[in-house]
Amino acid sequence: MSSIAENNPGRVALLMGNEAIARGALEAGVKVCAAYPGNPSSEIIGTLATVAEEMGLHVEWSINEKVALEVAAAASLAGLRGLCAMKQNGLNVASDFLLNLNLTGCRGGLVVVVADDPSGISSSNEEDSRIFAKLGDLPLMEPASFQEAKEMTREAFNLSERLSLPVLLRSVTRISHARGNVTFDELPRSFKKPEFDLSKPWSAFPAIPNHKILHERLQKAKEIFEKSSFNFYRGPEKPDLIIITSGSGYLYSFEAVNNLKVEERVGILKIGTSWPLPEEFVLKHLRKSENFLFVEEVDPFLENNVKELFAQNCFDLGMKRFFGKANRMIPDVGELSPEIVHSAIQTFLKVKFISRPEDYSRKAHEAVVEMVPPRAHGFCAGCPHRATYWAIKTALALDGRDGFVLGDIGCYSLGMGPSGFSQMKTLHAMGSGTGLACGFGQLERFGMEQPVVAVCGDSTFYHAAMPALANARYNGANFLLLLLDNSATAMTGFQPHPGTGFTATGRVAPVIDLKAVCEVFGSHVEVVDPFDLEATVEAVLRLISAERGVKVLILKRECALVSGKRQRRVFQMEVDQERCLGEACGCNRLCTRIFRCPGLMWDQKRGKARIDEAICNGCGVCAEICPASAIRKV
Amino acid sequence: MSRGLKELEEKVFKKDLCTACGACLSLCPYLRSWKGRVVKLHDCGLEEGRCFAYCPKTGGDLAGTGEQESTQRDEQLELGPVRKILMARGRDPIWREKAQSGGVVSALIDFALKKKVIDAAILTLREDDFLPKGRIVRNREDILNCAGSSYVSGPTLEALNRGPWNGEERIGVVGLPCQAIALRKMRSSSLEKRTPIDKVGLIIGLFCTWALEYERFHAFLKERLGQLNIQKLEITPPPDRLLKVYTDRQLTMVPVDEIRPFIRKGCQVCLDMTAELSDISAGTVEGIEGWNTVIIRSDQGEALFKEAEKEGMIECQSLPEDHLNHLKEASLLKRRRGMDVLQEIGRPEGGKG
Repeated sequence: MSSIAENNPGRVALLMGNEAIARGALEAGVKVCAAYPGNPSSEIIGTLATVAEEMGLHVEWSINEKVALEVAAAASLAGLRGLCAMKQNGLNVASDFLLNLNLTGCRGGLVVVVADDPSGISSSNEEDSRIFAKLGDLPLMEPASFQEAKEMTREAFNLSERLSLPVLLRSVTRISHARGNVTFDELPRSFKKPEFDLSKPWSAFPAIPNHKILHERLQKAKEIFEKSSFNFYRGPEKPDLIIITSGSGYLYSFEAVNNLKVEERVGILKIGTSWPLPEEFVLKHLRKSENFLFVEEVDPFLENNVKELFAQNCFDLGMKRFFGKANRMIPDVGELSPEIVHSAIQTFLKVKFISRPEDYSRKAHEAVVEMVPPRAHGFCAGCPHRATYWAIKTALALDGRDGFVLGDIGCYSLGMGPSGFSQMKTLHAMGSGTGLACGFGQLERFGMEQPVVAVCGDSTFYHAAMPALANARYNGANFLLLLLDNSATAMTGFQPHPGTGFTATGRVAPVIDLKAVCEVFGSHVEVVDPFDLEATVEAVLRLISAERGVKVLILKRECALVSGKRQRRVFQMEVDQERCLGEACGCNRLCTRIFRCPGLMWDQKRGKARIDEAICNGCGVCAEICPASAIRKV
Repeated sequence: MSRGLKELEEKVFKKDLCTACGACLSLCPYLRSWKGRVVKLHDCGLEEGRCFAYCPKTGGDLAGTGEQESTQRDEQLELGPVRKILMARGRDPIWREKAQSGGVVSALIDFALKKKVIDAAILTLREDDFLPKGRIVRNREDILNCAGSSYVSGPTLEALNRGPWNGEERIGVVGLPCQAIALRKMRSSSLEKRTPIDKVGLIIGLFCTWALEYERFHAFLKERLGQLNIQKLEITPPPDRLLKVYTDRQLTMVPVDEIRPFIRKGCQVCLDMTAELSDISAGTVEGIEGWNTVIIRSDQGEALFKEAEKEGMIECQSLPEDHLNHLKEASLLKRRRGMDVLQEIGRPEGGKG
């Protein structure tokens, strides 16, 4: 493995897209980097944190994306280069600051990397964040390869300084999380001293003159983009069809054109600087053909912008046909693939191409069905959340008033599915479970009798639920907040947060104590270990019937994967198959059918449960739920 | 037809017919009781189960199982099998002081334990919260702790399923009519048993007109009395019909009509007032304080009772004719009302539940 901090120009390294972006930032001389973890963006700051000391950077996991952007912007206002990374949902959080920062402008290069997640592979939504560039009149770049990810990041810093504007760099999962060859350039050595210039205040107000300046800067960006090498056309001079594409769509299009062997008939217009649109460059290529196909993830961003441009110039351009999401030739939801582009080109050109035999899927399925065990999307073996939801389910069932659980973003979102016994009933944004509880917790006066319960992870709590908890106390909401404190931002890769006692770069940090924070907000706070099922059930039952007000129950138990890295399993588990009731009345496979920890297996031959020792983390909770005491801690 | 938890849920829980007798509890991890309710935690998925088989509300014909053959000759229309009906009370005043009415049930259990007729008995304990729960007792002190009524039904039979038992103990059970039915269904069930029902050699049934829902009844008491420690509950006979609530500070009287809304629906469809499937049944004697009405129903019941009388543990008198008539009327009335409610909810009578 090569370090992205190697100053070795010309060296070719196999890098993940996010590492390439980090390398680009280093080549640009970035000094301050901040983010809140969120896939597919997390490795950008994760990688920079590993070289922070060596490169003399400040790298931090901030409490949320808005604060992260503010931290990076401060560096810029002081004349240094700053980078802020986030996932698409994060830009919503940061947008309030961003849509004022555009009006004040900035000083040192400031790049905002947004890694979108088409298909929502590790997200609650598949929002296309490019619209924020148009909304905020900000320059937007979209890398289409790993090399470009690095180059564009470096150029984005230069552009930001030329324009005095933050620049958005939009990646997607298949750029950020895939790997490719990247050639290194030189790492600069700069020793610029940051300074706040007292003569120049930064204020978005008054809006009108600042808005005017912003438009002038955007016009300048357009002029620069007209000549950008990130925009190019490859194909014949008079093609039957031109594919207009950006980002990951470029590689899909390139592959499809090659596979179909239609290089002589189909051209590809690749746009790297998507906003503002390099209009002259695009117009030049609009004259080359009558037919255009848009290939982009997720929304018709280029498609609509190019159509706007066409409408403005249609008198000169003559009749054109546009294909894409508007006429359903390209799906308007989900990730794209070469197959999707194949099929669109085939429909138009009437060429024949079979990317794989028709019965390939069926045959592949048959070949592996015996070997691959069915796996549900669920919690890891020994995950404290499984125990937590088990206790919640038991408590709410015993209580009998149809209490319900409001949730949000984290590993515990899986509480909506069978792994969490379908206990979580709402899933929106970070911290929204607690926010919704503030509202549901006011509905008693209208006759609502159901107990209101919110769940929130520790990292999510610091990110977005603290204001909701303060609001709850202030406005007198009545609910129980379960803080699932697993001492990590587990879902995105165990990044530290204010409660963990160390920082992104491994420095020891003061612990912002969850319990103390909740108590300061005036909540009644109790702490319980979710592995103690009976104690957890008792506490939940008692607190949902307690006097009205905000109650917080902290379920404290470290993430099984975090503790598993540090120590061997707590218990060695075994099943006494003589005692195991199996499918008989009295059990009917409670452990493998309902509790469903992946560490438990159904021994079909014997009709008994057994432990999968390769997977079991030895938490011991299954011993508590076994009705026959057949599962034992050894 | 499926005869598992799903059907139990459909036919009993969802129709609110459960009386929380406890027969289905501690058999599996899918059912649990909470504040006098039986709660289903997860779907069990089996087509047939002991929960359904043992439930006194799932119907099924007990005739032909051998359970009633020995008593058929004594069958009375109003009161079920009867060998003898009389009035009795525990001779030791301690029973009358702690127990309801004459304390004859406590005295009989105490005697049966002492004579090793049984090694343990399952009684119903009410702790400070007055929430009934099954308790395995083996001595007089435990019996005294369980004496008295809470007018709330609770999962007494759970203790039989839960144990722990050493495998050889002979067991006596004191329960309500629905619990006596459940015990008979347990005994006749063909499903694999992990409950020591074959060791149950004595069933003493308690007369029961209805039981109350714990949560609503106690919410009512709390609202009426505030945070007071209840010591004893008692209902006076007609014409007053008052609930007397003894607390550590005061005695409060509540007209019974005010607590009627809390009567369990499962009790409104019950056809059995005098626990007809027991060896001995006992209740109060309305208007004669300090005595129990006792119905001796089986050989075992008769033998135990005779010996207890002979050894001076209990004393007897004959039950006055008008009281006997009144008992029969009351029993018939409960049956008639139960049939009416069953018809109303569109459910044909099944068994004695």
